Amino acid sequence: MKATALILVLALLISAIGVLSIYSSTYRKEGIQWESTYQRQLLWVVLGVAFFFLMSGINYRRIWDATYLLYAAAALLLLLVFILGVVRLGAQRWLRLAWFTFQPSEITKLIAVIFIARYFSAKSVDDVSLKVNKMGVIRGLVLPLAFMAVPMALIMEQPDLGSAMMILLVFVAMLFVSGVRMRYLVTFVILGLLSLPLLWHMLRDYQRDRLMVFLNPNIDPLGAGYTVIQSKIAIGSGGIFGKGWLSGTQSQLHFLPESHTDFIFATFAEEWGFLGSCALLFLYYLVIREGIRIAGRTADNFGKLLALGISLMLGIQVIINIAMNLGMAPVVGLPLPLMSYGGSSIIVTFIALGILANIDRTRAVF
Amino acid sequence: MRIRIVNFIFLGVFLIIAMVLLGTEVIHGKRFRQLSNKNCIRLVPQLGTRGRILDREGNVIADSYLSYDVMLLPQPDDNVDDVLSGVAKVLGIKQQELKERFKKEFIALSLPVTIAGNIPVKKAVALEEKKMDLPGVVIQPHPLRRYPYGELACHLLGYLGEIDRWRLTKLEDYGYKTRDIVGFGGVEERYDYYLRQEEGGFSTQVDHRGRFVRTLGYRSPQNGKDIQLTLDLRVQKLAEEALGRQVGSVVVMEPASGEIIAMANNPVFNPAAFVDRKSDAGLKRLFNDPKSPLINRAISSTYPPGSVFKIVVASAALETGKININTTTDCTGSFYVGQQRFACWNTHGTQNVVGALMHSCNVFFYRTGLLVGPQAIYEYALRFGLSRPSGIDLPYEASGFVPSPLWKRVYHFRAWFNGDTANLAIGQGDLLVSPVQIARAMAVFANNGFLVTPYVLKGVGGKDVSLYQRKFSRVSLKDSTIDIVRQGLRKVASEGGTASNLSGLGVEVAGKTGTAQVGRGLPHGWFAGFLPYKNPRFVICVFLEHGGAGYYASTTAKRIIEGMVKEGII
Repeated sequence: MKATALILVLALLISAIGVLSIYSSTYRKEGIQWESTYQRQLLWVVLGVAFFFLMSGINYRRIWDATYLLYAAAALLLLLVFILGVVRLGAQRWLRLAWFTFQPSEITKLIAVIFIARYFSAKSVDDVSLKVNKMGVIRGLVLPLAFMAVPMALIMEQPDLGSAMMILLVFVAMLFVSGVRMRYLVTFVILGLLSLPLLWHMLRDYQRDRLMVFLNPNIDPLGAGYTVIQSKIAIGSGGIFGKGWLSGTQSQLHFLPESHTDFIFATFAEEWGFLGSCALLFLYYLVIREGIRIAGRTADNFGKLLALGISLMLGIQVIINIAMNLGMAPVVGLPLPLMSYGGSSIIVTFIALGILANIDRTRAVF
Repeated sequence: MRIRIVNFIFLGVFLIIAMVLLGTEVIHGKRFRQLSNKNCIRLVPQLGTRGRILDREGNVIADSYLSYDVMLLPQPDDNVDDVLSGVAKVLGIKQQELKERFKKEFIALSLPVTIAGNIPVKKAVALEEKKMDLPGVVIQPHPLRRYPYGELACHLLGYLGEIDRWRLTKLEDYGYKTRDIVGFGGVEERYDYYLRQEEGGFSTQVDHRGRFVRTLGYRSPQNGKDIQLTLDLRVQKLAEEALGRQVGSVVVMEPASGEIIAMANNPVFNPAAFVDRKSDAGLKRLFNDPKSPLINRAISSTYPPGSVFKIVVASAALETGKININTTTDCTGSFYVGQQRFACWNTHGTQNVVGALMHSCNVFFYRTGLLVGPQAIYEYALRFGLSRPSGIDLPYEASGFVPSPLWKRVYHFRAWFNGDTANLAIGQGDLLVSPVQIARAMAVFANNGFLVTPYVLKGVGGKDVSLYQRKFSRVSLKDSTIDIVRQGLRKVASEGGTASNLSGLGVEVAGKTGTAQVGRGLPHGWFAGFLPYKNPRFVICVFLEHGGAGYYASTTAKRIIEGMVKEGII
């Protein structure tokens, strides 16, 4: 129970910081939709907390039962995006539901984690041992990869390189923790690296530009490199103590694009400085560590893998997003969990944390 | 096992991110803060006015007038073309011209762009009235230097120009910036620090599209201080007119204090040519003119003084006791030093030092010079302030040169001969002086033995600073020496003297002419003197470059003195 409370408090703290930053980055923008941005985010957080309690009340073994259903639902939603999706910023990632839009790729990440957790925690009917230890290359690597490839391909086509890469990274990390033989893993990583040139051709022009700009932001300072340069300026100009809330010139005066979504970390760092950013990093680390601890405490293999997968998913997203803000990673459209504006991301993150809480609560039952 | 590894990896990556944050925010924070300020802060300058330059009576020699520039503050929503065509209509110039100018000068949105400079007041008013139809147009008053008297005293004033690299490196720490307008030469340079205005202006915050957000701060521009010179414009005018087209210079100084009353040079230049740099050809002509009109010959050029130097030799001889008032020499028209014949310009017969000065007799001074010896002449020349800058408060003063036996030994590996002494005694040879040095040396006989430091700055910002400017030292001469030389100088400017044309002017003048032989062309003409004889109030030094004999110089002096008498200055 203690862990549940801790996770919720941490999540609420981070969300509160997020709402403050969103308020700061949008309050100067003119227009109704900007004025209410932070209010909507507040609403998402409240909804997210509701989902947290809901999920922490549902026994996670129920998810085991529903895994294939969830997988099918995710695939269906992703297909629907192609037919009914809303196009924004040149990408078709959203589904319109009544009065809000919804991003299926967010929930797909979680479902992918659930799927892999279930796949690798299946037990042999004969001796109740884990199948994963005996899995050959086909069942241990190719088959789960094939399952992952379907949503990944669909997401890549939206296009949403960030989410697709996220799923791949989480997949690899979970292969590692699930106990698949090391040589499969190593072979897979090497094969992946070898196929990079092939992947390069599959990328869209703007994605290639972003990768090139990641290597050297100054080749196109007003185009693809602009965001990274401005983001670094924003973070760097914060100094030790920051410019103060509502006083960050980079975000307030719109030099920093996407200052309330993907680049909210830069907005925050500019106004709160080095000390604030370190505190925020620490909060994120505490959440992830709590997830990993829960995994360590859980005897049930599915629960253990699921908890680990959720921690990995959150951790990798946080790391990639902050690294991207700092210019250490290419700009891919990945939100910062719990901070970036966006209902899908917030609610999915709270659902994931709710599952985590439930795993911690239920493990005692066994 | 693998779970713990995952935990460690996360911890490691978070620590790396924290390190990178430390690097960007703390270590490079300052640089990024500057970049961020550069993004959103724009400075809209407002100019102050440079201080005026006044003469001793308060007449304005150089001041500033407001010229009007048309500036455009481009905003993203404005239609620049419409505005430009509106402005073009009012100004009566082609729209294309304005467009090109705008394109050339444009830097960023919300930064003012000067599209037309120096427009007439009427048009400025017309534009101001049309302000509502022409968004973003700003009429910026822009002070420019004006010289009501044109070329008068140009060398003393100097001119204005954009700061050069050399001055910038020197003055950066004093707040000078690139593209600052600073003085070049004359008091404009020497007292730039007082005259200089301080730029003020608005610093404004703009957003990513360059739209104005708010004003962050305002600093009002500071005007420069007025400075008052010791110059008397009436005398300056007389001096320049007297020089006419003759290359040369005139220095008029007050002997008691060292105040420069007039400092005229010819050829002149018009400092206004540097203000409105429309005609680069004109400036090029100035810089390439073989007569170097930009040089202040009175302080920056050195010439052999000729017979004017005899006042120094006479003083040295009288002081050292080699001659006295009764010592006479018989001038037969020439003088032999060893085998070499040194000529006098006439046959003067028997005369003492007073007569020798009066007639500028070379033979007397050859003999006297040999009696005194080169070392003593050298030492006395130094006492009279030669061979070093006079210390006048103007830049680029030359120090001149006085030869000595030691110098010849060290630099020419030769012994000093008696012939050298004879040459030195009549102010020829390697001796070089500037007109202001001669005026200063002459002042010693006008103020009873004081070597003054000439100066031109009388007041700053309405406060009299001449007390701080006055510096003099005593040239320890006996009263008798001064008296005897003065007698000689008085005789020069009376009937029978070499400057006899200066007699009968209504004021008693004393002085000495000089004719300096030069290798090529006509000799330089000198006249240095003071007046009135009894109670000297002015020292005057006229120098004519290749102007013929000293007599012509005294004629120039005569014109100036006549003018001064006529205007009641004396």
